[in-house]
Amino acid sequence: MRRTVSLVAIALFLLSIALMLHGCSKSQTEVAAGITDTFAPDLNDPKLKERLGDDDGYSLAVLYGSDIHGSLETCG
Amino acid sequence: MGGLARRAAYIRAFQLRSHDEAPALFVDAGNLFSDDRYAAGELPAEITVKNRWVLKGYGDFNHDAANLSYLDLPYLASLLKKDGYDKRVAEFPFIKKLISANIKPMDPSVQAPPPYVIVETTLKRGQPGKKYKIGIIGLTQGKPVSPTVDEYDVAGFHIDDPFIAAKRILPDLKKQVDFVLALAYMPQDKAQLLATQNSEIDAVIGARQISNTGEVQHFNRATLTYAYSQTKYLGELRIYLSNDAKIENQTNRYVALDDSVPDDPAAAEVVASAHTEFTNEQSKTAQQVQASATPMTLLSTASPYAGVDECAKCHQQEYDIWKNTGHAHAMATLEKRNQQLDQGCVKCHVVGFEQGGFQAVYSTPQFANVQCESCHGPGKAHVDNPGKGYGFMSVPVGCIQCHTQNNSPDFNFALYYPKIRHTKG
Repeated sequence: MRRTVSLVAIALFLLSIALMLHGCSKSQTEVAAGITDTFAPDLNDPKLKERLGDDDGYSLAVLYGSDIHGSLETCG
Repeated sequence: MGGLARRAAYIRAFQLRSHDEAPALFVDAGNLFSDDRYAAGELPAEITVKNRWVLKGYGDFNHDAANLSYLDLPYLASLLKKDGYDKRVAEFPFIKKLISANIKPMDPSVQAPPPYVIVETTLKRGQPGKKYKIGIIGLTQGKPVSPTVDEYDVAGFHIDDPFIAAKRILPDLKKQVDFVLALAYMPQDKAQLLATQNSEIDAVIGARQISNTGEVQHFNRATLTYAYSQTKYLGELRIYLSNDAKIENQTNRYVALDDSVPDDPAAAEVVASAHTEFTNEQSKTAQQVQASATPMTLLSTASPYAGVDECAKCHQQEYDIWKNTGHAHAMATLEKRNQQLDQGCVKCHVVGFEQGGFQAVYSTPQFANVQCESCHGPGKAHVDNPGKGYGFMSVPVGCIQCHTQNNSPDFNFALYYPKIRHTKG
């Protein structure tokens, strides 16, 4: 009985250490990655299609901007 | 135009359109954080709130790197303090993607940002299966304090010469990667010089520019393109590789992030939360100012501006035309989007912001909206002593102080001017 209690205590201790080390930060990254992956814009929308232009066989792309100066939106 | 929600949606659409065959990176060429009203080593609470949301938004939506400019430094010290650094990085992993090869902290308790990041991807086109590495290096000019003089010590950081820093770091970076991308927050002539002097660079993306042609410019092996301010137009550099992964060509175009691009719902939620917290913080500041002993009316009576009601006393005909223009309702435009407290927007919707005119709706309502003096200049002296010599305005030069390509991309003087034109009186 005493041995069982000790094993349970050790297991709980190890579980709490694992949660402390990996719990919060890991889940945040996974959620973040999931957020963008789940959104599927309508690629057949003619206006969006026009914005996207043709896929002309490029190998990779760099999308870029600058000067948002602390704002995730732009002025009205 | 623009904003995180549309940008995130476009990037996702761009990836889906190529069936995830062509990797797409997203980078920012500089001026990510606000330094508005930085004084005595501190940023106002509401500006810190805005900056923190940018850090979160860029991290959550998988941006690959952001170049640090001289404008980013007031917020940077709080992020790079060695004490508590790991905890901050755990909360905001994007801190590690803030790069600069020529910004160094002067305080030893603050750590230096990384000079570059390396992004690795597996090619599906060109040479399928190849692990392809892109090195992204960040460089900024000093802070301009006059048209010819830059300041190099800013907010506890020293800005080294970007050209010397590039020469020092690029050879080592080039050995590690297949493609070198330089993000350069500097004027056009200096960005060109950077591309010309450093054969290791494959592409330069410049910022702090006014106009963009769309076409890539070529300097030796490097291409040079420029980012639009506020990212209202998203730059799109396409890279074409041969079957042995050599660079065959690069093309560039700009994508208008207008209502043709939907909002990414999750990103829109982040933007809304950021907006709410920022507005709450601004309201707290407004309440503190209102409750303070300083009577705000004193500030307005000392103003060099008179306000439109004073102008109307002698210029009724012009006033009648003005009151039916968009200028007379400029604040309402911001209020519709709950941006009436955002100083970055307010300055072009009022009279004399930060020049003795408009301060806030609660203290100086007489200077809200784009009035006579927004274009003609401070008129209090003219009201006190009417006479000739006041009010000359050069058009369209006066208009483009606010109707810039970035703020007002659809601005067309020939179409817009008749809407506000008034007779001389």
